[in-house]
Amino acid sequence: MVIIREFTKYEAGWSDADELLLCLDTGSWRTQRPVVDKEKCNYCGLCALYCPPQCMVNMKDYFTPNLDFCKGCGICAKECPRGAITMVAEGEFANEVAKR
Amino acid sequence: MKLRKGEVKVITGNAAAAYGAMLCRPDVVASYPITPQSEVVEQLSRFHADGILDAEMVEVEGENSAMNIVAATTLAGGRAFTATSSAGLAFMFDAFLMTAGYRAPVVMVNVNRELTSIFSVSGGQQDIMTVRNAGWVQISVENCQEILDSIIMAFRLAEDIEIQLPVMVCYDGFYVSFLAEAVEIPAREDVDQFLAPLKLQPERTKLDPERPLGCGTHGILRGFMELRYKHCAALERAKRKLDEIDQEFGKFFGRSYGGQIEEYRTKDAEIVVLTTGSAMGTARTVVDAKRAEGMKVGLIKLRMLRPFPRERLTQALKGKKAVGVIDRSVCFGWNCGPMYMELRALCPDIGFVPMMSFIDGLANMDISIPHIERAINDVYAASQGKPYQEVTWIPLEE
Repeated sequence: MVIIREFTKYEAGWSDADELLLCLDTGSWRTQRPVVDKEKCNYCGLCALYCPPQCMVNMKDYFTPNLDFCKGCGICAKECPRGAITMVAEGEFANEVAKR
Repeated sequence: MKLRKGEVKVITGNAAAAYGAMLCRPDVVASYPITPQSEVVEQLSRFHADGILDAEMVEVEGENSAMNIVAATTLAGGRAFTATSSAGLAFMFDAFLMTAGYRAPVVMVNVNRELTSIFSVSGGQQDIMTVRNAGWVQISVENCQEILDSIIMAFRLAEDIEIQLPVMVCYDGFYVSFLAEAVEIPAREDVDQFLAPLKLQPERTKLDPERPLGCGTHGILRGFMELRYKHCAALERAKRKLDEIDQEFGKFFGRSYGGQIEEYRTKDAEIVVLTTGSAMGTARTVVDAKRAEGMKVGLIKLRMLRPFPRERLTQALKGKKAVGVIDRSVCFGWNCGPMYMELRALCPDIGFVPMMSFIDGLANMDISIPHIERAINDVYAASQGKPYQEVTWIPLEE
């Protein structure tokens, strides 16, 4: 048997943050997503510090989740001192172009 | 190759293990004492105190830490050694599995002992048989010299770029651990030379602050499957690699052990008995006696428990009229010995002949000459078409 399309060049479970991560498909776990109110956000960065998969993206004057990795846990919304993050059910986005 | 004659000393199996590890110059040794392995740790500490062993000795609070430390050492590109037994092996089990998944080339000695419960500080092979699906390479050895030599070979095998697997060298606790025998201790420079080919290989992936990588991070779906496939493929490669290393060792040091299996008088044998570990010496004596009586019996020592030497065993057993397996442990749920259970899986390759499981030697019961003789007689009778009992717990029928 041969592997038709190799996922990783490594022999063991090595992953490089600069390249493809091993297989972190956490985005597919999400049932709700954080929606950031840019007006309320004061760019404190607590959401990014608390985010378990570290997927809050620094947009220079606010933060927004990378939905490829956001698993929808809601910790960012809970921790945001300004209440700038709301968890919205994925169903609300059913008509959007599929973002995982 | 201008080989120096090694110094011959009368040492125990545990001391032989410590000598073997010391000669391979590990960077880190982390081990927690447990009967019957403690002497290995003591001896290594003595080597360190005497300045013979230039390694970092980590005093650990338990086997789980020991295994995590040695795995991390090898991931950082170093060489690491540890030793354990029975409940210690059980206590490190999650780290033991992680080490295999990391493909961390740790070399560990396991001094075989019964597992609890029933609580029993005594010899048996239940510990090594219980962990045989953990992804490690397991080599089972027979005597003090073979312990020392096999540890040197284990480092060559584990760290080989084509293999990159942790290797466990297993020997019977109480029987070999505390048995003192004459052992030839190779010269350091010669061991260095034997291990030198590893330095010529491409460097394996390692933890490097300049280029940060994670190992063993979360993996699911296809990436996970691919790494499992690669792990299994490496285990397959380890079989022939051990044969090659064993042959090279033979040319180098004048001693070789057959690699995956050792065949003893099997060529013209009609029936064969298979066992492993310390019982081999006694078994050879009985086979010789039976041969003298004219019975065509052969003996196989299973050296490589994992990966299982399918091809070599098939070649050795094809055409034999009956096969018996003497296990020093049990296979729960199959009501037979584990090596027997696995050998039966080769029936389509070797032919459907009578196969018999003999369970003996649990918890320090001796696998004695009369016991092995009984097993051979039973296998012979089965080969002659007589009805036979598939599984026999020898001491219980005495």
